[in-house]
Order: sequence, then structure tokens, then C-alpha cells
Amino acid sequence: MNQTEILKDYSTPSTLVSDRWITGITMGFLLAVLIFFMLYPVYDICKLSFFKEGIFTLKNYVAYFTNPRIFRSLTNSLYVSIVTMVITTILAFFFAYGLTRTTIGGKGIFYTVSTLPLIAPSIIQGLALILLFGRNGLITRYLFHTDWNIYGATGIIAAECLYCFPNALFILYTTLSAVDTRLDEAAQSLGASVLKTFYKVTLPGAKYGIASAAVLVFNLTITDFGVPVVIGGNYSVLATEIYQQVIGMQRFDLGATISVILLIPSVGAFLLNYYLTKKSYALISGQARPFLQPSRPFKKWAFTIYCWIPCAFILIVFASVFVGSFVKTWPYDFSLTLRHYNFPSLGGHAPLWTKFWASILKGEWQSLIAYKYAPIWNSLWVSILVAIGGASLTLLAGYIVEKKRPKGDQVLYTLSVLPAAIPGTVMGLGYILAFNKPYFFIYGTFWIIIINIIICNFTLGILSSIANLKQIDKSIEEAAVSLGANPITTFTRVVFPLTKTAFFSNIAFFFMRAMTTISAVIFLISAKVKLAAIEIIFLDIDGRTASANAMCTIIIVIVVGMLFAMRLITGKTGLKGMSAST
Amino acid sequence: MGRNLRLENLTKEFGTLTAVDHVNLEIEEGEFICFLGPSGCGKTTVLRMITGFETVTEGKVIFNGRVINDLIPQKREFGIVFQSYALFPNMTVEENIAFGLKVRKVPKKTTAERVDQMLDLVGLRDWRNLYPAQLSGGQQQRVALVRALAPNPQVLLLDEPLSALDAKIRVRLRAEVKRLQQELKKTMIYVTHDQEEALSIADKVVVMEKGQFRQVGKPIDIYQCPNSSFVADFVGTSNFFKGYRTDDRVNTGKWEFRISQKGFLSGEEIFLAIRPEKIEVFKYGDLPKDLEPSNLITGQIDVITFLGAAVRLVINIGGEEVISDVIEKEFTQRQLKQGDKVFLYFPPDAFLVYPAKEGS
Repeated sequence: MNQTEILKDYSTPSTLVSDRWITGITMGFLLAVLIFFMLYPVYDICKLSFFKEGIFTLKNYVAYFTNPRIFRSLTNSLYVSIVTMVITTILAFFFAYGLTRTTIGGKGIFYTVSTLPLIAPSIIQGLALILLFGRNGLITRYLFHTDWNIYGATGIIAAECLYCFPNALFILYTTLSAVDTRLDEAAQSLGASVLKTFYKVTLPGAKYGIASAAVLVFNLTITDFGVPVVIGGNYSVLATEIYQQVIGMQRFDLGATISVILLIPSVGAFLLNYYLTKKSYALISGQARPFLQPSRPFKKWAFTIYCWIPCAFILIVFASVFVGSFVKTWPYDFSLTLRHYNFPSLGGHAPLWTKFWASILKGEWQSLIAYKYAPIWNSLWVSILVAIGGASLTLLAGYIVEKKRPKGDQVLYTLSVLPAAIPGTVMGLGYILAFNKPYFFIYGTFWIIIINIIICNFTLGILSSIANLKQIDKSIEEAAVSLGANPITTFTRVVFPLTKTAFFSNIAFFFMRAMTTISAVIFLISAKVKLAAIEIIFLDIDGRTASANAMCTIIIVIVVGMLFAMRLITGKTGLKGMSAST
Repeated sequence: MGRNLRLENLTKEFGTLTAVDHVNLEIEEGEFICFLGPSGCGKTTVLRMITGFETVTEGKVIFNGRVINDLIPQKREFGIVFQSYALFPNMTVEENIAFGLKVRKVPKKTTAERVDQMLDLVGLRDWRNLYPAQLSGGQQQRVALVRALAPNPQVLLLDEPLSALDAKIRVRLRAEVKRLQQELKKTMIYVTHDQEEALSIADKVVVMEKGQFRQVGKPIDIYQCPNSSFVADFVGTSNFFKGYRTDDRVNTGKWEFRISQKGFLSGEEIFLAIRPEKIEVFKYGDLPKDLEPSNLITGQIDVITFLGAAVRLVINIGGEEVISDVIEKEFTQRQLKQGDKVFLYFPPDAFLVYPAKEGS
């Protein structure tokens, strides 16, 4: 058959949309979103802290630094953050060392357990420590009959250490598994002792990773709101002080001022981390081999025991909150009950949910499911939308930055990674200042919460999208284009299927963040729109600790359920032949 | 007829670097052209300008009488085969081949026919439902080849398509590409750094260096009559001598060769080049009588490398090394061994002469 005949009539693709045009519009849209929902609120905060009735003034700052009670929040914040940073980094370093440089057994269990804190709101650490060491703590009151309790700096530090542990561990684990172990072997073969090898070879090789982990812990701690609010007692830190000033005293100007002060260390930490990460990548040798010589028995035992310590703490945290939600009166009466899951009337209702259940249920059950569980339904609904929206937007932004590289892509990149530098409480306050206006119709609805959570977590989303897109050979896309596919077909038929795995893990990430986040959205909830994670705080403040535990347990169950569902979905899609041929 | 491709003063600059420097070329329909050059010479950049993936700094790409500089790649309808195969890992062999037809909204039946036809062309009918990762490198590149051919492109561009494959498969696929080209009479532009590949496959070879076309011609002409010392050195192997010329004599300092090529001024500094297979090697005793005595030099065999049909000798002549290729039969007959003292004969008409100032 004549080869040229068959296709004669089809050789020109009918609709071709200009690539540049699509890229331009998408980029414009993303830039507009980031500028309006990230820069603008921060700008409003700065404006409010520096200007009074249109005149530049430092009055707010003078007020801040001359009021010793408020000023203390800065030194307090720095104190707990630095102590947490030191403790967590050291703990996580040796943990990571055990997982990467020794041949201990049970690495999988250690790794999994150590990541548990990520699936719960940071507040869970606080709740658990109170259950164990609080005024009515199992250990303090029940076992030792002492009046000492953990509220204050000690409690914050202990809880933050647990909360930050997996975050530091990720970085140190990557660093230590990437640094070439043969260097250690070479040093030892040249006669260096084990300790000397550690100081002269292992530590210097991991120095940027260590610094980067430390900076991250510092940043997480200084910006965290959940832990200090439940376990801080009278110990005020910057993040809680902002909330106090704004919600407690209606002093928006002072709240904005404290926000700017909090921005300084957190932006600094962010920039430092950015620099360190770059340096750290340069040290990673392409030759790194994961092969390990069997460790000596003593080393093995020492590290096994060592690794069990943080894992045991984490498991105890989860177990106490879990058990605490099912027993009558912790720590005196351990008989089982479900009554803590019958939350007090929290108010608020959820779209679809409330109407639906109110119409088919009656009496007790109606009030429980339709009204009392409305925040949970809200959280779930918000999380699903955040997951889909966040994963899609960050994939799109990552695709433009990594693959399309139009003019100004660096601006988009910078704006996309910037949210990590802005503490949640600051972002939350910024949203009130910027959007609490009558004409801004989505304020007070859950749409503003969804946007806020997506923006606050944009950084990690886009970074993981970019990392994944980097693995797609440029010529795969060019092949599609040369075969006549337009930009949209190329993206949907070729690029997207190849990033599916990363897309789903981003969905999981955004979902998890939306279910557990507290700091920003606490400013955005309203009488009608409530969220499960925030209710933990209010339940706890009301003295209903057991119900707070119950709410926390429900969130964990939902997150775990979602992770399982994700695994099923990605497992079933099969993604056969995904090991790209390139 | 006349769907020819023309490059006019085509230039590409990356900042201050000129990757492609005012090149001109005319490619006839159905011709098999090969761009050959060391890595970094700009050959891939020329190809990418033809495909539209790289913008043109200056000059024109003209197809079918129309300047296509600003035409987007989709509209050029040029098929491309990539070094990395670039098969879509999420699609089966069949889906990969059908892709270019589907995006053109070709009816299902026609697509299915065409896919069958393409699979038969490379003998992969039984593999149609497999994913790229399940195929060998050679099979993947076959799929890539027919995937590019399926929408019946006007021109097929191949960017080092075989260099990721191992030697045996490379040679086999090379023959297959050649066969396909002859069967389909499709214009093909092929980029490679492998001179053997270029010489064996193309109708016309373009030798590139530093962004410029050094020589354009049939493979045999390029090999036999390289127009510069660069081409003589890059295509095939050459032995070089630097010297001064007086009449038909060239004085290299150590030796004085007689050459038969004319046309250079006396006293000019020149390069003499000679292919290894042109140098004859004799043992003492079996020397023919009628040789030009000044072109006969003594030496000692340093290294013997078996290349298969030929044997490569590295011979030391007064401190310099000369490479000579002897066919295996002669090598055995003459009983050459390492360390042997031998006569080397440089036939006067085997020398190629280049001006020295062009550099090498």
C-alpha cells in the first residue's frame, strides 16, 4: 500500500493553541493568586504595624519593646526554639545515623513510627504530655503524687521536640544516606579510629544537612501555635501573643507588630535553609553507595536501644491520647466509655451534611451527627478540596517553572517557595486584615480557609512537583509535540500520567496539612464554619480534655484512612511500565 | 516533487557563543543526509532549529519554498527520533505508535491499519501490547522510529538515535534504518558523532566543526578526498607530517617525501596526510623493486592490534609513530611480529596535502 496515501487528509492538526499563550495565561493566573493571597496580606500587616492614620510611626514597636510582659514573648520564643533546635537536631541525627550507617534490625518500624507526628495536629504532643505530666497527669499525680507539672517552657520544648523530630529526621536521613560511606571506610583503612572518623569525616560531610535540619526545627518551633496554646500555660510566645492581642484584646496594630517581629527570625531561617540546602546538594556524591558493612554487636545493640527511645515516646503520645479519649476519668477511672465522643454543642454547621442528617435523623442522634460532628465534616470537605486544589496548582506551577521556563519564571518560583517563610499565625492575621471587608464575599466562608491552607503549604507542594518533573526527560515532551500534540494534550496525555505518583503524594500531603493545621485558620473560622483541629483547642480550653483527645483521635483516624485509600488507588492504577526508559 | 529543505545562512547564538555559524545546505526530497561532527560542534543545534525546538538567531530554514523559522514544531510535521527514545512510558507500544494519529483525530480504523503497517515495518507485531520498559533498547528505538513515521512526516529527523545502544545492535539497526529510508523514500536527516555510522548510512554527509560545515559530499568522497586536515583527521584515521614543499618534494626535517599532488606554492608550510591502509609494510628481503626510494623508510613494529579483517600496526620511525593498517591475509603472509624491523612505503599519490595554517 502506498505509504503516503493513507494520511493525506489528516496531516494538519485542526486546532492548535499557541503554547506560549497558554503558558502565559497560566503563569499570570498563578502569579495573581500568589500576589493577592500571599503578598497582599503580608503587606497589610506591615502597613498596619508601621502606619497610623496614614503616617509612618514606630509607636507600635516602642509599645512592644517597652511593655515587659509582651516583650517577654520574644525572648521566650527564642529560648524555647533554640533549646528545641539543639535537642531535636542531636536526637534526630543519631537516629538517622542508626538508620543509615548501622545494620540494626527493624529500620522500617523505626522510620514509620518516627513519622507518626506528621499525621496529627501538633497539639497532640501537648495533649499527651498533659495527660502524662499535667496537673492530673498519670505520672506526676497518679504515680509520684507530686505537684510538679509540665506546663510552661518545659512542656513546650518537650512537645515541640516530638513534633519536629520527623521533620529534622527527613533531612538528616537524606543527607546521611547520600554521603558516600566509602569515605568512612577509606578513613578507617588509613588508620583513623572510629571516633576520629566520625568527627573528621562523617560530621563534616553532613554539616550542611545538620545545619539545615536545625534551622528547620527552629522555624517550626518559633512559628507553631498549637503546642504553646495548650501546654504553655502563662508562658507566652510570639505566635500565641499575636492571637491574644488580636482575638483577646482586639489590638490589631499590636498583633501586626508582633507578626512583623516574628517574620524576622522565620524569614531569616528560611533564607538560611535555602542557602544550606543548596550547599548540601553540592556535597552529595553521585557515587554514594548504600552498601553497609555489618556493624559490630555492641554498636548494633546501642543503636537499637537508642532508636527505641524516641519511638517509644511517640507511641506513648499516640496511645495516651487514644486511651484518654475512651476512659471515664483519666487518670483515676479507666473504665471505658464513648461519652467523650459526644461533643458539647459546638455550634456551626456544614454544607450538605447538616441538612442531610438533620432531615433523616431525630433527637439525640440528630444533634450528634448533624450538628456536633459538623466541624469534622467541614474539615473533611475542606481537606478534600485543599488536596485537589493544592496538588493541581502546585503541579501546574512546578510544570511552568521546571519545563516551560517562560520569562519571569524565577518570580513565580520565588513567590511559590516563599509561603514556607511566613508563619501561619501571621498569614492568618494578614487574611483578616486584607479580606475582612464587606465586598469580599468569600470571607467567613470556608473558601477563604481552603485558599489559605493551599497558599500556606504551597512551598512543599511545588518543590516536590519540581523534583518529580525533573525526572521526566525533556525529549518525551518534545516527542509528543513533534507528533503534533498541542500543549494541553501534551500535558494531559503525557506529562500528567508520568507525574501521577507525585501528584497523589501531594494530594496526601495537602489533605494531611488541611486536617491538622491550626495556626493560620484559627483566625479564619467563624461561628458557622468550624474545623475539627481548631475545636481541639477550644475543647481543651473549656477543660474538656477527654473530648479534645477524642477529636484528635478522629482526625488521626481520618488521615490514616485517607493514606490507606491513597495506597489502594495508586496501587491499583498499577502505573505499569513507569520505570521510564530514559 | 521539490519538497526540499534549505538552510540559508542559518545561525544560532547562545549569548556570546556561536553554536551554528552561517551554514548553508540544500536537502532534496528523499535524500538521506547525515550530520557528522565531534560533540559540541553544533550538529544537534542545527537539527533542533529544523525541528523548531530551537529559535533561529539569523538566517532561514526554508521548506518547500516557504520560510518556516517561526512555525511552531507541531505545524512543521517533521518526525523526530531521539537518542533517549523518548517513548511514553505510560503507553503500550501500540498506543505510542497511534499517538501522533490520535492527536490528529485520524479515524480509528485508519489508525489501526496504520499501526499494523508500522508494526510490520519493524517486525514488532507480537510486542504491541507491551510497555516500553518491557522492551530491549533496540526494540524501543524501533518503536520510536515507527512512531515518528506513523503520521507520515514530511521529513524524519534522527538525533543520535543509535548511540545509546550496544555495538552489535547499533550496526543491525543502522541497516534497518537504511532499508526503511530506501523503502519509504523519505527525506531523513541523521545526526551522529560516529563516522563509521555516517559513512555507511548516508547519501550525503555533512562534516561539522565549531558550528560550521567543513565538507559536504558523498561518503566516499569525504573519505577519499577530505578537503581539510580536520576532515582527514576526524573522518577515518590519518597520519600527519608537517613540512615544507619544493616542487614535488616535501621536507619534513627528518625525511624528504616525493608527492604527486600539485597546486601548492614552493616553500609553503604544509601538512601531509596519509591513510593507514595506504602505507605498505615490507620485511627486509621481500621489497619490490620499482618503489620510489625517498618514500621508503625503516621502522620497528611497536604495537599490533587485531581489528578483525585488518591488523593495525603502530610503527616507530625514528621516534615518531605511524599507524598502518594491513589486511589480515597480508599480515599472516608476511609473518609480521612485534619488534620486527620493517620498511614502510608511502606511495607518492597517496598523500593528501593541506596548508598548515588552517591548523589541526
